[in-house]
Amino acid sequence: MARPPGLLYAVDETPPPVTFVIAALQQVAVMSNSLIYPVILAREAGLTTSDLLNFASVAMLALGVATILLCARSRYTGCGYLCPAGFTQIYLGPSLLALQHGGLALVFGMTISAGLLQVAIAPLLRRVRMLLPPEIAGLVIAVVGLSIAVVGVRYGLGITGAGAIRPIYLVVAGISLVTMIVLNIWTKGYTRMFCVLIGMGVGYAVSAAVGIVDLSAAVPAGGLDLVRPPHFRFIQIRFDPTELAPFIIVALAGTLHLMGNISTAQRINDDDWIRPDFRSLSGGLAGNGVAAVLCGLAGSLGINSYTSCIGVSTATGITSRSVAYAIGVVFAVLALVPSAAIVVATIPAPVIGAAMFFTAAFVFTSGLQMITARMLDSRKTIVIGLSFGAAAMADIYHGVFATAPAFLQPVLGDALVMGTSCGVLLNLVTRIGIRQLAAIRLDPGHINRDAVEEFLAEQGAHWAARRDIINRATFGVVQLLELLGEVPGGIELEARFDEFNLDLRVRYTGAPLEFPERRPSAREIMASAEGERLLAGHLLRRSADRISSRALGERTEVHPHYDH
Amino acid sequence: MSNSALSIEQFHSGVVRIVALKGRVDSTSANDVMACLSNLISGGEKAILVDLGGLLYLTSAAFRVLLVATDEAERGAARLALCNVIGHVRELFEMGGLLDAFTIHGSREEAVDRLS
Repeated sequence: MARPPGLLYAVDETPPPVTFVIAALQQVAVMSNSLIYPVILAREAGLTTSDLLNFASVAMLALGVATILLCARSRYTGCGYLCPAGFTQIYLGPSLLALQHGGLALVFGMTISAGLLQVAIAPLLRRVRMLLPPEIAGLVIAVVGLSIAVVGVRYGLGITGAGAIRPIYLVVAGISLVTMIVLNIWTKGYTRMFCVLIGMGVGYAVSAAVGIVDLSAAVPAGGLDLVRPPHFRFIQIRFDPTELAPFIIVALAGTLHLMGNISTAQRINDDDWIRPDFRSLSGGLAGNGVAAVLCGLAGSLGINSYTSCIGVSTATGITSRSVAYAIGVVFAVLALVPSAAIVVATIPAPVIGAAMFFTAAFVFTSGLQMITARMLDSRKTIVIGLSFGAAAMADIYHGVFATAPAFLQPVLGDALVMGTSCGVLLNLVTRIGIRQLAAIRLDPGHINRDAVEEFLAEQGAHWAARRDIINRATFGVVQLLELLGEVPGGIELEARFDEFNLDLRVRYTGAPLEFPERRPSAREIMASAEGERLLAGHLLRRSADRISSRALGERTEVHPHYDH
Repeated sequence: MSNSALSIEQFHSGVVRIVALKGRVDSTSANDVMACLSNLISGGEKAILVDLGGLLYLTSAAFRVLLVATDEAERGAARLALCNVIGHVRELFEMGGLLDAFTIHGSREEAVDRLS
């Protein structure tokens, strides 16, 4: 595990008190953007202003509890990384449909069903890890970035249903975004760490100055209590098996969404990150499922992980798990203090948009880096390219897909779910015909390095292997051929791959080789061909993670192994 | 011919003779590098910079050639340095414990400054 250069506080580190508190507030400000989804549901349910405020308080409490469940590092729940919770559009479509068919009671009952399904899937996740190889995880993360950017632009420009832009929103979002960028690039310390919060604060102030903020609209007729615990008055639960299909899709879509987010959270903590840690993913999914069950029981919309928070962690370098607990406490307080909740819940749309657009840049780039670390053949190129296109299509033609059957809405209506579903399915289909074992024969007199390079490059691309490992393996074989010289009977080269191992076997007629531990000196290398042979053997030993040579009758098999 | 085949480009930057290697240097091509460097040294070049930025990898034969050429240059009162030793190529230098056996500069510009 290597510490990335921009990382200020790693997952197991706790920042100093002031940084700790402000980091939590920064995440809370971003997470609060997601309250728009329960508010939409509450409005559709026809709740009064007072009930709506209470509904928002319950939702805030849910955000706090869910964040702790998602981020904890325990045996049963939590991914162990800073991966806060948020309400997303994934639950919204099916919940609105359930609302029409059976009121809020049905929404809550079906939310519990989706949560239970996620809890059930969690321990099985490791067994289906071939569904999410690293290049597909990279795709998911890039699509996460894309989808945040799209929503960010919509909010930032105040794009209405008719497609018009509100110029004043553009001004507010522009000022907010430029503040974040300037602080992130050209400053250090606190201003860089809290660039998102400061940018949102500046945007909030500008919004107030130009008259976008209207706190009074959210205040009920009877005024606000100073402290008011949330009432769980909406608790009615109903199940309906005919509503199950969309909520199964919700649970699966939320699972993929979560896997993308946790993978990113893992990656920004480790410069040597190679593939998702499925133990952490399983814990996170169990936490997400329990959180969704609690949301249903408490009377709130279902919950997912919130991608913008990962973007904030990436941009600011604060990834401490302990921040999650502070977030939980802050939301518990906000749920008790209606006036504070209103300030958070009424962050103007262009400010939200600027924060989302800014954080999207970091998430998107992280995904691209994961994809390009792998060698891609035409199959993988098609899988990644088409899936990315499908994700973009879901965003661009959002209105067209709104007329699709409701059970398909969680897939068609969400770029992330659409892109991920396509990626996972296409990857499964295009795996057909890929052999994990391949071999070539190099005849005597025709032992050329180009053939070896082409063979390994082609296989590496079929397998989407890591470029650096294939480079090391190619060097190993060419160095070995050089050491062997002309071999009567030619050479067989066999390569076997799985996601964790690359094993080569080189067979030839002749004596076994030695791979010396001792490194020859520069003078020894210059002095004789034997010195050069010693260096060749030593390089072979060092460039592979393991190497052995054994006699098979008259023939010898050299077996370099590379951890992948 | 594969893209990995060795190509050697030569040019001057002030008094420094730059030799840029691209592709792969192994036992089949190491002699070409040796011949090139030997010619420069015997031809009186006093500052030679071998740019490895375009190399994919180099084998033990190539290391030997570079060591011999460096030794030859020293005996001929010339300076031979390397630059752009990065990525996988740098890893190979590290594995062989040969980073200290050469004068290595970061970029070509920095190397030219030092050798001028």
